[in-house]
Amino acid sequence: MQPSFTRREWLATAAGGALLTGCAEPQPLVPSRVSIVRAPAYDQTLYDTVGRIFVEHRLAVRGRRVVIKPNLVEFEPEGAINTHPLLVHAALEGLRALGAASVTIAEGPGHRRNTLDLAEAAGFFRTIPRFEDLFVDLNLDDVSRVRPPRSFSRLSQLFLPHTVLGADLLVSLPKMKTHHWVGATLAMKNLFGVVPGGVYGWPKNLLHWSGIHECIVDLHSLFPRQFALVDGIVGMEGNGPIQGTPKHVGVLVAGSDPVAVDATCCRIMQIDPFHLAYLKLAAGVNAHLTEHNIVQTGEAVAAVTTPFELPPDLREIRLENA
Amino acid sequence: MSVGILVGKQNHDGGWPYVRGGSWTEPTVYAVLALLSAGETEPAGRGLKWLVRAQRRDGGWPPRYGVDQSTWVTGLVALLSPEQLGVEAHGHALAWLLRAVGRESTVLYRLREWLLGVSRPPEQEHPGWPWIPGTSGWVGPTAIAMLALEQAYRRRRAEPVQRRLDSGRQFLLTRICKEGGWNYGSARPLGYDSNPYPETTGMALAALRGVRTPAVEQAMGTALRFLGECRSADGLNWLEIGLAAQGRLPDGYQRPAGVEPRTLPETAMAMIASAPGHGRGLLWGSRNAT
Repeated sequence: MQPSFTRREWLATAAGGALLTGCAEPQPLVPSRVSIVRAPAYDQTLYDTVGRIFVEHRLAVRGRRVVIKPNLVEFEPEGAINTHPLLVHAALEGLRALGAASVTIAEGPGHRRNTLDLAEAAGFFRTIPRFEDLFVDLNLDDVSRVRPPRSFSRLSQLFLPHTVLGADLLVSLPKMKTHHWVGATLAMKNLFGVVPGGVYGWPKNLLHWSGIHECIVDLHSLFPRQFALVDGIVGMEGNGPIQGTPKHVGVLVAGSDPVAVDATCCRIMQIDPFHLAYLKLAAGVNAHLTEHNIVQTGEAVAAVTTPFELPPDLREIRLENA
Repeated sequence: MSVGILVGKQNHDGGWPYVRGGSWTEPTVYAVLALLSAGETEPAGRGLKWLVRAQRRDGGWPPRYGVDQSTWVTGLVALLSPEQLGVEAHGHALAWLLRAVGRESTVLYRLREWLLGVSRPPEQEHPGWPWIPGTSGWVGPTAIAMLALEQAYRRRRAEPVQRRLDSGRQFLLTRICKEGGWNYGSARPLGYDSNPYPETTGMALAALRGVRTPAVEQAMGTALRFLGECRSADGLNWLEIGLAAQGRLPDGYQRPAGVEPRTLPETAMAMIASAPGHGRGLLWGSRNAT
């Protein structure tokens, strides 16, 4: 078989490149809006809360194809590892209410191959009507080749699923967790789940060997139309993202700029965002890491700050030690 | 019923999708194996032609057409016999498998680590197989490659095959989790004990057929516990095959009701796992081999 680009692959790459021209160059400092909203529990009030967040951020999804990307990792019922299914359902309903033409829920877990079984164990079938019809396993979806507009990692190309490449908006719903390799896993790291296991395996070890922080930034640059809504109601501290301890924070953190959203989450967790290599890298092309470049709405960071226990070898990323 | 599902989902090009869409190598191999065992030679034959066309010049297989890299699925394709695949094509597949090692086992990597003064963990002593070249060895692709090489070794005893089988066994034995069974990778990544998974535990037990150590015995206990708890078709498929390979599948075992396959490989593997011999005929060339 000859390595060759199909016309579809070229189109996908060209379209991505055209859209991402702005991501490859330093941006003028138009502050990013990030909202912190209190959400004490996973209950019915989430529907109204999420709807208000979407309205505040003026999400223009009418007639658009939207893909919701939760963080599904392990067989665990409604706990601290996976994005809570009620939040995913609230986002689904909120996007439908805004007139989205289609809303798909899609994820490609990094460790477990039986994604739908995992989703069932995590409560998605119970909570979201017709979940199986709405869901696409990104590990097994059809793929096209794309090239990051400006490659920080050793990846010169990547195969990505059609479901996410064809989305007008990617709504990233990560969990607020510590991560024993990269410090914290939030909106940017959540994009590892769009890399197809069907091509790269379980885990997607190519990303680790190609530079984990750099790959996070490369993936981020391939999806310029994102909205991040971080599940910080119950997060995870310690040996995250799987074996840590549940941590109640009681917030949702949202915005269209995942870099600014992640930096804000870090401050809530009392992690220094400038100590996370991928955020520092991203800051080179997007200066929204510093607080004065973020328009903060809702709660103040100080009002909801909840120090997360860090893995022993990552304690130097603690904000108070910066 | 399952045969009808497999035949109904075959793409016009002869291959199969995971769920829907284009053809991939992995579901095509499992579908061909299951259909051949069911005597459905016509759709299986079209699947075989798809596979033969997909082989790359380096002897390996890509995960699907258009992906210009041979990967772990080469081990899956090599589970087909030389008669089914073609003697030459099968020989090239085995050669590719014998060359493939996890990156942590390459001379270059080991030299780099030695120069940096990094001591090698015991579990990196023995090479396993990666999902894709240039990355680490993992339990899943190692188990699949070993199943293919064991078949080959039964046909013709060759020293290079035996050497890789031996190292593959050690690779798996050094990765048994503290509580028994296998995670997808290391038993203790970054200093924390990892949890075993049903599917990888079943795969590793299948690959370690006939190996008896206290740790393997403990792993079989974990597998039997999983067999009672697991509600995933993928997990149950591999547990059934792995325990049957070790001669430890409980007599008269029946799957719990309501656990349905969700993907095409799961459907095909359920056919293989529930057939007489629980896959032994397909995976080891003998229904009675234990």
